[in-house]
Amino acid sequence: MGGSAAPLFQMAGVCKRYGGVRALEKADLTVEAGQIHAILGENGAGKSTLIKIMAGVVAADEGRMLLDGREVKFASPAAANQAGIVCIFQELSLVPDLSVADNISISNPPKRFGLIDRRAQRRIAEEALARAGAEDIHPLAPVKDLALSRRQMVEIAKALARNPRVLILDEATSALTAADVAKVFVVLKRLRAEGLALLYISHRMHEIAELADQCTVFRNGHNVASYRAGEKSDNEVVELMIGREYSHVFPAKPPLKPSDRPPALEVRRLAWSDRLRDISFGVRAGEVVGLGGLDGQGQRELLLALFGVLRGVSGEILIDGAPASISSPSAAKAPKIGMALIPEDRKTEGLMLPMSVSVNLSFAALDRISNRGVIDRAKERELIDHMIELLAIRTDGTNVPVGSLSGGNQQKVVIAKWLMVTPRIILLNDPTRGIDVGTKAEIYQLLRKLAATGAAILFYSTDYDELIGCCERVLVLYDGAVKRELVGDEITERALISSALNITTSGGADMASAVSA
Amino acid sequence: MNAPAPALWRKIDPAVATAFGCTILLLFLGSLYSSSFLSPEYLLQQLKVASFLGVIATGMMLVILLGQIDLSVPWVVAVGGMMSTAATGWGPTGEALAIPFGVACGICLGFANGFGVAYLRLPSMIVTLGVNAVAQGLMVVHTGGFSPQDSSSDAMRFIATGHTLLGIPNALIVWALVGGATVFLLSRTTFGRAIYGIGNRERAAYLSGVKTQRVVLFTFAIAGGLSAFGGILLAGYASKAAQAMGDAYLLPSIAAVVLGGASILGGRGSYIGTIAGVILITLLQSILSVIQMEEAGRQVIYGAVIIAMLLLYGREKVAR
Repeated sequence: MGGSAAPLFQMAGVCKRYGGVRALEKADLTVEAGQIHAILGENGAGKSTLIKIMAGVVAADEGRMLLDGREVKFASPAAANQAGIVCIFQELSLVPDLSVADNISISNPPKRFGLIDRRAQRRIAEEALARAGAEDIHPLAPVKDLALSRRQMVEIAKALARNPRVLILDEATSALTAADVAKVFVVLKRLRAEGLALLYISHRMHEIAELADQCTVFRNGHNVASYRAGEKSDNEVVELMIGREYSHVFPAKPPLKPSDRPPALEVRRLAWSDRLRDISFGVRAGEVVGLGGLDGQGQRELLLALFGVLRGVSGEILIDGAPASISSPSAAKAPKIGMALIPEDRKTEGLMLPMSVSVNLSFAALDRISNRGVIDRAKERELIDHMIELLAIRTDGTNVPVGSLSGGNQQKVVIAKWLMVTPRIILLNDPTRGIDVGTKAEIYQLLRKLAATGAAILFYSTDYDELIGCCERVLVLYDGAVKRELVGDEITERALISSALNITTSGGADMASAVSA
Repeated sequence: MNAPAPALWRKIDPAVATAFGCTILLLFLGSLYSSSFLSPEYLLQQLKVASFLGVIATGMMLVILLGQIDLSVPWVVAVGGMMSTAATGWGPTGEALAIPFGVACGICLGFANGFGVAYLRLPSMIVTLGVNAVAQGLMVVHTGGFSPQDSSSDAMRFIATGHTLLGIPNALIVWALVGGATVFLLSRTTFGRAIYGIGNRERAAYLSGVKTQRVVLFTFAIAGGLSAFGGILLAGYASKAAQAMGDAYLLPSIAAVVLGGASILGGRGSYIGTIAGVILITLLQSILSVIQMEEAGRQVIYGAVIIAMLLLYGREKVAR
């Protein structure tokens, strides 16, 4: 379909680093007008960074972007919009208390004598809604009165009102039901016919199969393959998404001794709101159980539910075979249960950054080192020194603010803080995110050591290598439910990815053939 | 000394140094005006007056360390004064229980503040303002809107105006005891650590297994008790309680804490700073009244000083 010589949009050799982490490494992408171009890749493959660079949210460190063959640079999202690149982000960006029309023109309202021209604004909204195929939405209705799927349509209309030439949809359908997705697809196909280039990012393989003309697979921040839709089977696509070299060193997994003791932690039919459904599993002492699946399938909620943070959780939690009620983190921490949670975000949930290393280290264990609320300072000192040595925390004294340490050492402080309460059940929420390889390896060794001393460990990671290297079993979550349990040798990248995408890699041929148009 | 820094001397905070520096500067300027500014009698008198503010500011500091604010100070102070003098009027038993009764009334109001903030999750600015209005209403009902006729008990007068050893005012000793207990609470107890933790990052403290709601509740209760105790001292000093006797203490107590380098956003601040702030504010008040500045002018100066200190010390956290 791309008739003219220069492609509509091109990206060449783009690199982006966040601290020491490379998010994009020499990424190339070519987008033709009149096509729907799907971007595939697992968690952390660089898709989000790619889009943010295109939409002017972040600037690339290296590389060039060409629009109509001319080099462009975007200093802000507004500049990208001006050039015709508009992005619909994962999270809805509408202001609930404003009307549909207000929202559609929010960044650049039509003005008359310096005031907002309401009539023109309404006309713009009507046109945009019609173009998005959502004429049924009244331009003056407040957004908060609309259903989620309607809001998503307003979101698309808002993007169209900016007259895009390249429209980026980042997981734009993840909040929609199947019926709404079908409606959105009709609109997207019409936009394609109008000559727009659409960049479509989704974890749902069947959506990509239905929509895409062209696909590009990203892995480790680099585009590894680009092909016409239908040329490759699901099997081959998963193969492309994997294929990383193993870069981490994992300690050996000792054989698990059979035991007739009840599991240290057992969960029966756990459910919460619509985010967790009917989850049952057990973790035995000495076992490392992984939580896999795509980001945001309920893994975080599961850990928070176990730790007593969420309200209205139904189902049963058994500790050493006895039912336990865990109503708050302080109940979870109590010696009777002995649970610890290494939270997701160390900067806001794990640590008090301006406070000293020593205060942070002893914070969770204060009730163990105090007598009637008075802290035993000698004991505190001793435990802090022990932990700093045990985890080899590199710090310039214990009175410096913990925020001055490197990311890896901050994470070690979070872990050490919880080891001070000598927990028997340890929940970890993606503990190695954004830390260096050396510290990662130390954390793997530590997990193994803790398991060997009888701790039961539940470990959520977005890095599949870690799940393979660390865990005896992996529970793969999809849409808030345990989709599959992988044990021992079954834990492979292929099995993890295909069950995370909720497809069976062997029987994917019929899907691929259905698309080849 | 590489144990966790005690709350009293958490290194030399520039704000604390500034506050003490300003105090000395004020004394120097005052001594140019009149040499009696440097006499021991004047200084002890100032410290005695500072003790009332010091006790009230102690409660305010605890609440500010949590990242909250207590705007119920004016009428909780009045409740402390009025309830203790009222108890004195009920005969010998009442007179004996006057001080604990006044403090208990303040603690009750503090619990109301704390309950609203911790469990109902309302903004402290609104809850405490509401409790202030309720306390005012209750006191108007109690007194019929007139100044209460009961006078304070001998014990109240003793702790507020008496001297014991070496001519040191009892009020100053009372403040020293309150201050010592507070320093111990903040630096040596799990409760104190929890206050700093919550002020820094409530979510992290909660996920560490701290019963954050309970800590907030009790901190407000302590603050209420201290405000009422301040009112009792004031009633002892003046021999009786009065309507609006606490109105002059809200802004100065916040100013004293902020001048002492505590972050208005919570989590950072030392008691030595609050001491410095209290002394500075008291001296400022005294000198302004000696040079016969009107009340309106003093209010302008307080407000300007608070804003200036926030510009100097309160912004780093926001900018991050």
